[in-house]
Amino acid sequence: MGESSDYANLQEAILTGDATTATEIGDEIVANAESVLKPIDVAAAVIREVGNRFGAGELYLPEMVLAAEAMQAFMDVVTPQLKAEAGDSTLINRGTVVIGTVQGDIHSIGKNIVATMLSAAGYNVVDLGVNVVPMEAIKAAEANGASFIGLSALMTTSMPYQKEVISLLEALNQRDDFWVIVGGGPVTRDYAQDIGANGWAPDAAVAVQICDRITSLPSTPSANDLIYTGEQS
Amino acid sequence: MNLDRILDVLNKAHTGPVYQERDFNLGVVTSVISSKIEKHGLKGVVDTENPIGSDDDLADRIYQAGFEAAVEIGLLCSDTSRAIRFTAEELQAAIDEAPSEFWLGDGDQRVHFQHRDLDDPTPPVWTVPLSIAVSEDVFVPLVQGLASSKVTDCLEGPSLETIYGYPLRSGSPYEHLAGRYQADLMYEAVRRSGRVGMPMDAIGSSTTHYGLLGGYGMEGGYRPKHDLVTILSIADFWTSYESLFKLTQTYVTGGEHISASTWVMLGGYAGGPEGTAVASVAYTLLMIAVFQGSRGGVPPFDLSYMGNCGRRAQWTLSVANQAITRNTRLVYHSVANQVAGPGTKMLLYETLVSSITMAVTGVANVVGVRSAGGRLTDYLTPLEHQFGGEVFKAAAGMSREEGNAIVTRFFSEYETELMTPPDGQRFQELYDIENLEPIPEWNRLYEEVRKEAIEAGVPLD
Repeated sequence: MGESSDYANLQEAILTGDATTATEIGDEIVANAESVLKPIDVAAAVIREVGNRFGAGELYLPEMVLAAEAMQAFMDVVTPQLKAEAGDSTLINRGTVVIGTVQGDIHSIGKNIVATMLSAAGYNVVDLGVNVVPMEAIKAAEANGASFIGLSALMTTSMPYQKEVISLLEALNQRDDFWVIVGGGPVTRDYAQDIGANGWAPDAAVAVQICDRITSLPSTPSANDLIYTGEQS
Repeated sequence: MNLDRILDVLNKAHTGPVYQERDFNLGVVTSVISSKIEKHGLKGVVDTENPIGSDDDLADRIYQAGFEAAVEIGLLCSDTSRAIRFTAEELQAAIDEAPSEFWLGDGDQRVHFQHRDLDDPTPPVWTVPLSIAVSEDVFVPLVQGLASSKVTDCLEGPSLETIYGYPLRSGSPYEHLAGRYQADLMYEAVRRSGRVGMPMDAIGSSTTHYGLLGGYGMEGGYRPKHDLVTILSIADFWTSYESLFKLTQTYVTGGEHISASTWVMLGGYAGGPEGTAVASVAYTLLMIAVFQGSRGGVPPFDLSYMGNCGRRAQWTLSVANQAITRNTRLVYHSVANQVAGPGTKMLLYETLVSSITMAVTGVANVVGVRSAGGRLTDYLTPLEHQFGGEVFKAAAGMSREEGNAIVTRFFSEYETELMTPPDGQRFQELYDIENLEPIPEWNRLYEEVRKEAIEAGVPLD
């Protein structure tokens, strides 16, 4: 099987959510290819395309979830080789995101979509589920060595808990330890800025763009008035 | 309310089959819906050029697929990780037991909810507004303006952003206080509008059960004999203790009527329009069965733009409505999800299209309007609600063919803007709050679209 054929099969396997084939292709690449960087780029492009098509309503949630799982299966196979090639770079570990729907809110679909997209993009995602108490989010971020805390709120009455997480971080002198990204239907850019969030993600694709942008920054997280949105990406 | 059925539901919620989240969403919901599409020949039936179809056989196949899917899927209780499932006989009995008509409110404000058929002139019921967040200081005048409209039959929202000046926090004691506080404000608003006795849906400001515990079935609160308890769900085919507490609270306070309704995501685990239509039917039947709904309905919500006034969502809404209407005697309820804000023509066009679709496909009661998609505080006014109610009632009696001819004319006015809708302006900017009159510019837009609707064949005059 030639290289281009492998990549076409890899694209197809991810696009169709075929984790078994994605794993087999990964095994073959590790065994035969000189480098895994190119196929990883190809796979990443496919998953971005899947995200874009989902955002446009051309693909549906089951297809996106299965594609992300196929991507993850492929990455599980090629990551040891990638480590040997690229060392401890952001190609391997793009950082950990602790994510959840805030206290008083049990909506899960939007948060699940963001978690899926982040995972597919190479982030280690710790999904705390729904109705997450503010202190629980902070403790989980600490325990998992997270760089990001992602907070979803689907109701105006749960949005105050996004602010509460940031207030608690400030009170604990931990505001500089994490980038806080907020999103959800009623959460506006102005609100995100008002509460001191670092990022506002109106949809899942933008959430990934924000994390990518922040990950590429040379400095460590800081509690300043910067707010990242997809517009800058 | 039937206690035996409540106990049966609670028992199922604690003894039903156990599922992890992924296994239920993909392994049950997606899988069952896909199999029903295959079994009932529903692939390739979507016709976005004609969002209001007139294919009775298609509606019946969607219903049968939805009924079978309801039996096989059930509702997963997030607190117990167990599925509440009914046999086909149990589900049919619950549907048969649901009322085909009932009354709410009192005095000269009583409202008759009744099943409607397709192309049916029976007057539908118009409830306003949805639970969109509103500043505390304009809550009463806004509701007064909404209740003053002759086309308004019932009240539901809006939702308070703060309570006594403090942020309203979901699941907190503030929400418990908000139940009674909202009742006080609503009664003051209907008193000012001269509509004392108007029925209400409880409770707009509180999505959790705490608001209901704090404001329903007590002296001065919402009235069990006259008002309706709204029970929503959280995600496709999921429920929770929050919703089950609302069911038990309705029972213990002597309540008689529940609205069992929620959303199904178009583009979600049920897939595209045909799968979402099947899921809409299945979810509606399950909500009625679990919560003993006097009215119920699960309209689609398109994930790609977070609304349902686009062509494929309107097709989904229409065919699911027809399926339920033709095959049950339920008092069917629905909601339009506009995305444009007040002060824009786009909001009025979205409202025009969705109101016609719902009127001609047998919807008995609509709660609306979701001005600005419900995203922004204070972005709703009485005028778009007036327009929505006028069209909804005027279109009752039109045929599906007539309705389809009209709505297809108006999609082009807004469908390219669904992904980037205009926010519009706040109530305070679009109304003279002292006199509760719209500013001339907003009124002019209303008159222009109203004239276009009349010219297109909507009998508004």
